[in-house]
Amino acid sequence: MPTLQAELLVIGGGATGAGVAWDAALRGFDVVLVDRADLAEGTSGRFHGLLHSGGRYVVKDPVAAKECVAENAILRRVIPDCIEDTGGLFVTTPDDDPAYGDRFLAGCRACSLPAEEIDVAEALRREPRLNPGIRRAFLVPDASIDAWKTVWSLARGASAHGARILPYHRVIDLHREEDAVTGARVRNEHTGEELDIEAGFTINASGAWAAQIAHMAGIEGVGVIPGKGIMIAMNHRLVNTVINRCTMPADGDILVPIRTVSVIGTTDSRSADPDEIPVTQAEVDQMLDDGERLVPGFREARALRVWAGVRPLFQDEKAGAVADTRDVSRTHAVVDHRERDGVAGLLTMSGGKLTTLRLMAQDIVDAMCAQLGAERPCRTHAERPPGNEDGEPYSLGSRLRRREATLQDEQLICECELIGRSRLEQAMRRRGTTDLDDIRRSMRLGMGPCQGGFCIYRATGILHGVGRLDGAEASASLHGFLEERWKGVWPILYGDQLRQARLDDWIFQGLLDVEHLPDGELAA
Amino acid sequence: MSHHDVVVVGTGLAGLTAAVRLAEDGARVLVLAKGVGATHLSAGTIDVLGYAPERVDRPAEALGALVDARPGHPYALVGAGGVAAAVDWFKARIAAGPLAPYAYAGGVEENLLLPTAVGVARPSAVVPETMAGGDLRRDAAICIVGFRALKDFHPALAADMLTRAGVRARGVELDLVPEGRVDVNALGFARAFDAPAFRAEVKAQVVAQLGVEERAAFPAVLGIADPHGAWTELEHGLGRAVFEIPTLPPSVPGMRVHKSLHETLRRAGGRVILNAVVTGAEHRGGHVSALRIRVGLREERRGADWVVLATGGLASGGIELDSRWKARETALGLPVTGVPEPGAERFRPGYFEDHPMARAGVAVDHGLRPVDGGGERLYENVLVAGATLAGAEPWREKCGDGLSLSTGYRAAELVLAASTAAGAAAGVAGS
Repeated sequence: MPTLQAELLVIGGGATGAGVAWDAALRGFDVVLVDRADLAEGTSGRFHGLLHSGGRYVVKDPVAAKECVAENAILRRVIPDCIEDTGGLFVTTPDDDPAYGDRFLAGCRACSLPAEEIDVAEALRREPRLNPGIRRAFLVPDASIDAWKTVWSLARGASAHGARILPYHRVIDLHREEDAVTGARVRNEHTGEELDIEAGFTINASGAWAAQIAHMAGIEGVGVIPGKGIMIAMNHRLVNTVINRCTMPADGDILVPIRTVSVIGTTDSRSADPDEIPVTQAEVDQMLDDGERLVPGFREARALRVWAGVRPLFQDEKAGAVADTRDVSRTHAVVDHRERDGVAGLLTMSGGKLTTLRLMAQDIVDAMCAQLGAERPCRTHAERPPGNEDGEPYSLGSRLRRREATLQDEQLICECELIGRSRLEQAMRRRGTTDLDDIRRSMRLGMGPCQGGFCIYRATGILHGVGRLDGAEASASLHGFLEERWKGVWPILYGDQLRQARLDDWIFQGLLDVEHLPDGELAA
Repeated sequence: MSHHDVVVVGTGLAGLTAAVRLAEDGARVLVLAKGVGATHLSAGTIDVLGYAPERVDRPAEALGALVDARPGHPYALVGAGGVAAAVDWFKARIAAGPLAPYAYAGGVEENLLLPTAVGVARPSAVVPETMAGGDLRRDAAICIVGFRALKDFHPALAADMLTRAGVRARGVELDLVPEGRVDVNALGFARAFDAPAFRAEVKAQVVAQLGVEERAAFPAVLGIADPHGAWTELEHGLGRAVFEIPTLPPSVPGMRVHKSLHETLRRAGGRVILNAVVTGAEHRGGHVSALRIRVGLREERRGADWVVLATGGLASGGIELDSRWKARETALGLPVTGVPEPGAERFRPGYFEDHPMARAGVAVDHGLRPVDGGGERLYENVLVAGATLAGAEPWREKCGDGLSLSTGYRAAELVLAASTAAGAAAGVAGS
């Protein structure tokens, strides 16, 4: 059995795990990170993209709010290329109690969150599509954050400091020697090969899957509740400022402009299994109605994609059963298994949110240092990971600006997301992946309005052409992509996106006849 | 307000077929269309019936069984005989059209198996002469030639898939670029192939790479002005069978169909107004007397004795579904059948599953006249043809072209028969 040695094994390649790997690598630890799938494929890649100002929590959860206030400012400094400074508005819709606005402002003051009430007319000047019936509006420093870029940037930064990042390596067992966890056995999900990782310390950063991982070390009852939320990406920037309803946090009360789309979210319901989170028609309808309340005409706008993510909500065992997952604190907690279960060498991160990923990593690596008796201070508040070095904040036009000069020099493979052939070929080589879905996530290929109608055939041909795919793999990859894409579109197929889907059927079924690709096992 | 014998709405295969058939019979025909029509998306083949649900080798035979099993299928409106008549007419029109001697081969008796751009053997009944040589029922090795600058066609991928299906095939890619551009679509290449110098260059680069017994495949870009010339020249120059494989859209063979029928329509006196959106109809009793249209910013009216509605289905905007699952036919507001009730399942979670609303469309009586949910005829002088019709899954069944052609043709026949009857009646009354 091949073996890897490391000082620290990080389980989970989402925002938390990548943050931990970056933090620990910066402190000089020798890190291995594993994830059962691609980086940011779980919860992190499935959120709405809101970098919280903290406003959402000032009334209900001031501890979480204060953390957001501090972390929002730090992240803008250290990962500017991942963040668009959209600003945020909290608006009192005709269905909301205007008096909540006063509690909101008081809460902001108590949490040192710079919020300012502006005229409704001014709010409507900024965001002309907003419901003209709003009664109050408050300006806060919300922003949007690109989760993929963030996670990849942190992972690349960790790599640059010696960390080994292993996506598609699933933990199948935790090694336990007497009263300590000493590493894990993982399986390469592509080759099926198994690998032992001997680690002095293990951090369980698997989010909603944390209880499953802890269970492998014989530890039961780790209090992570999977909380399902659905989000819909609309094919336009319906607004250019993050819009929040100024009310107690509820469903469908956030609209986040991110990249070329805007995302409405979200719902919150307890899920028994973090891998079983289907989107229902009723949830979609609810989101559309909620969107209509913020932006009239929302239902006539084009919906692009819908997905569900699963939050890892922390449940304090002493608090007993929690009925509504909204009432669970949005803060995080480091579960010390030496204290809790008498098992050393293992910490679990529970709860938290993307906005506080840096703080979460700092807290858990601090806790590890304390157990190890190591004095290595955190540096993530002052270091910029790759891609962010120049301190230049992301803006909507920056992607086009960067590419415009060379756009005509090569083939454009994905017109929606402006991906040229050489970049695609580079990514294919760099990622070492043959999976169109991995390429979709890392480059946004096929994520624009046509949802891969044109670029996926092209990308398959190019992958095959550079020798990364043989015929059988190309077949499987094409089918896999179509199935994955379908999952995200079928519940929102109406209007223009239904028309687009039929055009894509025309291409894939009518012109290419992909149903009959020579692949018996796939067609079944 | 101008008045026409027939206003055809839509300029895809169904609309153009109806319009040409009528205009050549002397009717004053006006075609109103929002865009250029879906021919530009199709493979340019006339797929009559490819899967039902098993692969169909003999479409004329299979059609009978299909309409017996599924009386709601639009082929029940035309029958196997109606499809054969429409196909014969189509082949004759193209062969006599402005692209002649460019012609179509095949018929409804049996399907050819033509490779797609991913190397799948797709059943097609009637195909451009430039594609017929690709019939995979014939056992001959294939060399697929592509162009690196044409991103919508990947020869090695297609060849690899064909090989896995037991066909001897390989791909080669040329670095030949029209006018030195790096990103040229199918139409750009087709225009290049219209020039003898480019054809000679291709020939020179390909000839040395071919094996003795190989036939040579090209993306379907062998000319738009004179495809027959380009194709025969390559066949002679390379000394072997040459055939085209459809690319991603824009489809050059589809554009040839459009160009050919469109020009034939003009020659027969038909008129076409593009960028015309039908916004509603004026009617007296069960008769539509005029269509309200918007052309750019102008609102106009056009009178008509007959209206043939061939605006396409969900893909073409002829039918729309809103977020509350209310479906509507967009030109005349006709009722749409086959959409599950709100709350019921519209689509299955697997892409390749059978989707409950896959066959949504406008229901018609046997005279192609639209009917409501109770089967009551809505208008006496409106006929519906093509993908607007309910009951088919054109891409899964590989029957969209056959349906559009045969129902468009049938619509014209019905109008002509009714006009003749009315004329005879008027003649009797007047005598």
